[in-house]
This record gives sequence, C-alpha cells and structure tokens, in this order.
Amino acid sequence: MNHYELLLTHLGTVLHAQYLVPLVLGTIAGVVGGALPGVTITMTVIMVLPFTFGLDPLQGLAAMIGVYVGGSAGGSITASLIGIPGTPSAIATTFDGYPMTRNGEPGRAIWIGVFAAFLGGLLGGIVLIELTGPLASLALQFGPWEFFSLYVFALSMVAGLVGKSVVKGLLSGAIGLVITVFGPDPILGVQRLTMGLDFLEGGFPFLPVLIGLFAFAQLMPDVEQIGRGKQAEADAPRALVLRVAKLDALWDILRRPFLLIWSTLVGLLIGVLPAIGGSAANIMAYDQARKFSRRPEMFGTGIPEGIIASESSNNANVAGSLIMIMAFGIPGDAVTAVMLGALTIHGIQPGPLFISQHTAIAYGIFAAYLLALPLMMLVIWLGSPAWLRVITMPKSILIPIVLVLCVIGAYALGNTMNDVYVLLLFCAIGYAMVKARIPLAPLILGVVLGDQVEANMIRAVANDADPWLFVTRPISGGLLAASVLSVLFALWQHRREARTAAKATTEEGADVDF
Amino acid sequence: MPGRDGIAGLVCLAISVGLLLLTRGLPPPVMVPIGPAFYPRLVLSFMALLSVLLIASDWRAQRRRRGVATPVAGGVSVRPNYLRVLATFVAFAIYILLLPMLGFRIATVLFVAALQIVLEWPRTWRRWLLVAGVAIGTTIVCDVAFERYLSVLLPRGRWTGL
Repeated sequence: MNHYELLLTHLGTVLHAQYLVPLVLGTIAGVVGGALPGVTITMTVIMVLPFTFGLDPLQGLAAMIGVYVGGSAGGSITASLIGIPGTPSAIATTFDGYPMTRNGEPGRAIWIGVFAAFLGGLLGGIVLIELTGPLASLALQFGPWEFFSLYVFALSMVAGLVGKSVVKGLLSGAIGLVITVFGPDPILGVQRLTMGLDFLEGGFPFLPVLIGLFAFAQLMPDVEQIGRGKQAEADAPRALVLRVAKLDALWDILRRPFLLIWSTLVGLLIGVLPAIGGSAANIMAYDQARKFSRRPEMFGTGIPEGIIASESSNNANVAGSLIMIMAFGIPGDAVTAVMLGALTIHGIQPGPLFISQHTAIAYGIFAAYLLALPLMMLVIWLGSPAWLRVITMPKSILIPIVLVLCVIGAYALGNTMNDVYVLLLFCAIGYAMVKARIPLAPLILGVVLGDQVEANMIRAVANDADPWLFVTRPISGGLLAASVLSVLFALWQHRREARTAAKATTEEGADVDF
Repeated sequence: MPGRDGIAGLVCLAISVGLLLLTRGLPPPVMVPIGPAFYPRLVLSFMALLSVLLIASDWRAQRRRRGVATPVAGGVSVRPNYLRVLATFVAFAIYILLLPMLGFRIATVLFVAALQIVLEWPRTWRRWLLVAGVAIGTTIVCDVAFERYLSVLLPRGRWTGL
C-alpha cells in the first residue's frame, strides 16, 4: 500500500468506535482543560494519561491527540471571553479576542479563533503527513555520533531559547541529564548513585518525574492566589450571546491567506524546535502579523488578524511537535514528552524506525490528528452554552481532583508506591524550580534524552575510540557547531535585551530627575 | 546574603558535588573505553560548573544593585499565600503516606475533602455538602473507571483491606 492508501485505511480504522470514542473524549477533555484558566494542555494530558494505561497504544494516543488538538483551540475560549488565556498557547489571542468581545462580538471572536485553529491545524497536518517520512529516512542515515550531537543541539537550543537566563536554561538541562544517571548503567548494569535506596535501583521513572514536575509547578501558583481573584471570577460574563454567522467568521480568515499560511509556518517551525511549544508560537506569530500588517496600529483593538495569527500558529505547532517526535524521537514540547512516555510504557520507542516498525500506529496518529480537528470544532460548537459555566469552576474543587489523578497516573505505571514517592519528590523540585525562576522545559528534555545521549556516546566510543569523530564527521560536527552557535546567539540576545532595559531605566531616571 | 539565584546555585552546587563524590566508588571501564562513572561525572561536573556561574552572576548582580537606589514599587502587588501552598503540600504528602495504610478509597475521600477545606473554607452548609459530594463523587468515579473499566488496580489499605 502506498502512503495515501495507508492514510485512508487508517482514517477508516480510527473512525471505528474503539478509537473514535477515546478521540472524542480526549477532545472534550482537551477543550475543557484548555478553556480552564490555570489548567494547561500538559496538565490535561497528564490527567488523561492514567485512563490510557488500560487501552491499546493507538487508543491511548488517539485520546492524547484529542487533548492536544482540543486544548490548543480551547484556550482561545477564555482568552476571548474573559481576557484570561486558558493555556499559555492562547496568550496572544487575548490581545485581540478580548477587545473584540468588549466591542460586542464575542461569537465572532470565538469562531474566528476556532476556524483559524482548524485551518492552521489542517495545513500543519498536511506538512506532518508529508514530511515525517522523509525526515525519518534522513535520520536513518545517522550514526551514534550524529544522534549524540543532535541531542546536544536540541538541549543547547532549548536552554538558550527558554527563559531569561542562558545559564539557568543550561543548568535546567543539566539537572535533567543528572536525573537519568541514577540506577543501572547501560553497559554492565552497575548501580549508580543509589545511596543504598532500593527504590532508586531502577532509576527515576520518566512519567512520575514529569507528572510531579508539572503538577505542583502549574497548580501551586494558582493556590498562592486562591481567594484573591474572586472578583475576576465573579466578573466572568455569564450572559454573552455567542451566536454568529459562522461563514462570515470563516471568510474573515480566507480573505487573509498570506497571514494564515505565514502564521501556520511560524507555528510549525516553533513546533519542530524541541520543547518550546505553543506558548512561544502564538506570540511570535502575532508579532510577525503585526510587523507585516498594513495597519499595525489596529492590533490590540479587536481585529481578526491578531486572532488568526495566534490560533493558526498554536495549532500548527501541534503538527510540528508531532513531526519531531515521530521522525527523531525528540519531543517538541511537554505534551509530546508525555506521549513519548505513554508509548514507551507499551514498549514502543519513537524515532527514525518508528514509521517503518509501527506503521499502523504512525498512520493512526496522522488519522487521529486529522479527525481531531473537525471534532474540536464540533465539541466547541455543541458545548458553547456550557463554556461560560466551565470557566468559572472553583480552583478549590479542581486542584484536589487533579492531584488525585496525578497519583493514579504515577501509581498505575508499575502498581508500586515507589513511583508515587518519586512523584512527591518531583512535585517539590518542580515548585522550587518555578520559585527559583529556572525553566522546566530544558529539564524535561534532559530527562527524555538523557539515556539516549549516554547510550549513543557509548556506542560511538565503542565503535571507534577516537573522540574527534564527534567533530570531524560532517553532520555531527555541524550539529555541535550549531549547538555552540545557538548558545552564543542566546547569550548575545540576552545581553542586548539587558542593555536595552538598562538604557530605558536610565532614561526614565533622567526624566524623573528633570 | 545571596539572592534567589545565588541560593539556587548553592543548592545545585552542593547536590552536584555530593553526587560527584558518590561516583568515586564506581568500577573502572571493562568492555568499552569509558566506564559507568564517565557519563555521570561529565554531567555532574557540567552541573557544578553552571551552578558556580549562577552564583557568580548573582553575586555580580547584587553588587550592581548595591550601587543603585532601590526603586519604589509603583503598583499594588498581591503577596502569594505561601502558607496555603505549604498546607497543600503537607496534605498531599500525608495522603501519599496514608495511601498504603488506608487504601485508595478511604484516603481519597479524606484527602479531596480536606484539601477543598484547606483551599477555601466552606461558609455555608450548601458548600459543606458540595465538599462532601465532590470527595465521594471523585473517589467513586475513579474507582469505577479505573478498577472496573480500565483494569488499573488502585492501592489497597493494609489497615482497612479496602
């Protein structure tokens, strides 16, 4: 069967109830999770994770893809209606979505966002389906030197691009790598750094670490503020009329094809870059849209362009992240990192061989992604009367439920309390890192890639002990050079920003003096 | 007195140096030129180096700040409620520690109810009913969904057998 026959066959497969039900439920969970302020897509996918343990791999992945697609669009609901982004990937949607609502067009704001998410996701899906195979074939040419250098490049790039300090980004990545050295070494199985503790003998399991890091890091900032945002919650509009001529909203997008395609490309590119995610994609696309616009001064007043740029890019970002994990085994963001963990539970390792060895699952992912897009629109359309109630759900009810699901997610992995203790430990570490303003994304990538970095380094040295091969092999050397350049670029960029800020402060001070 | 970054750097440095010392007991290389200690030492040294850089940058920032008058805060800032965060963490830790003794069903009802009360004190009897309903409802839904439909076994209590 050729590429398109396989795709059509698997579209038919995913339309069977056994896959469609998890996909629909995942999409509903994603839209609700995305719409709830303070609950991110990552948190939602972590909550859904334990429900997937009893399912077959494709059923579980269908549910997670539903969450991912639904959550990416769901964030725009709150962003447009109450001016609070449901997820970080909808921050830029608030800039024009909320003003449009205040201008008396809440339905238009929501539906421009939904259609932009659909079209951006669809264009991204086409690229996902067409590019993943060729990229995986390219990755098959890689030896251990190239993989080692690729992982180093991914880590250095994330460390440089995320957060406000390159040192903190790199430190976060290093902590992630350190977490993976506990337990048996990959050659002889010698126990390392276990300090005589039995539960460390298998190393730190990836998913409890990930769930723990995100659980407290994302929930506790809300706990800090409970009782202080009551007014905002009370002010949430309950009587908005969301009815709108949907074709007009669609036409608002279709008559701006360049904006749609450019924002989609920005989202795809950011999605392909490891561990950066939709939170950067929507802001970058919004910024680009304003720069290219003939009426940049209108941005922020409630114009369709701002919503289109933000929503199409954050949904295309989903496709970009999926390309990276399916072709190289590198998660594009935290959501795909959870998916990677879920796959490894079933004994499946994403990477260059994924498409050829697990064709049914790979094409099932493509199919689930394509089907999740219209489902997302359907869920938002049918559920629109409920959204205004959902977004005002008290945090005091939500947080205990989320924490219980986190415990189940960690426990159910191996039916052992050890994984739950690991979860508790990393809850504390995650919150401490948030308070120290150390970004979590490089740490997650370090934990995901740590074993692979070590295994490929050993494989390379076992093949040929000459360490210079890492530098002299063209692709490997190029990737290492790119790693150094990405860190240098980030350092230069941060220094420039600091200088600009210092200059502005001095000028403000001068104004005050005079 | 070190700032936030300085403290983070010192904690990371202490951890990396402590773990580096632990690698001393690892055996030498046997089958390949690099042994089980090589990679941990490499990443721990990298972590220690970055920790030192973080401490140094914090120290430099502190010195710079000393030379500049502290600006007066213009807006009204909302102080985070760390006591509530601590209470949440303690409740969560107790829940996890009690899980193997009480079992999922009893421990979860108690935890969900207790944490709702910790996060927002119920002021009306309707709210108390809601707290109880959410606690019991969450436990029943999880129990039925995971044990009956998804074949995921949840912890049983040593003391209660439930």
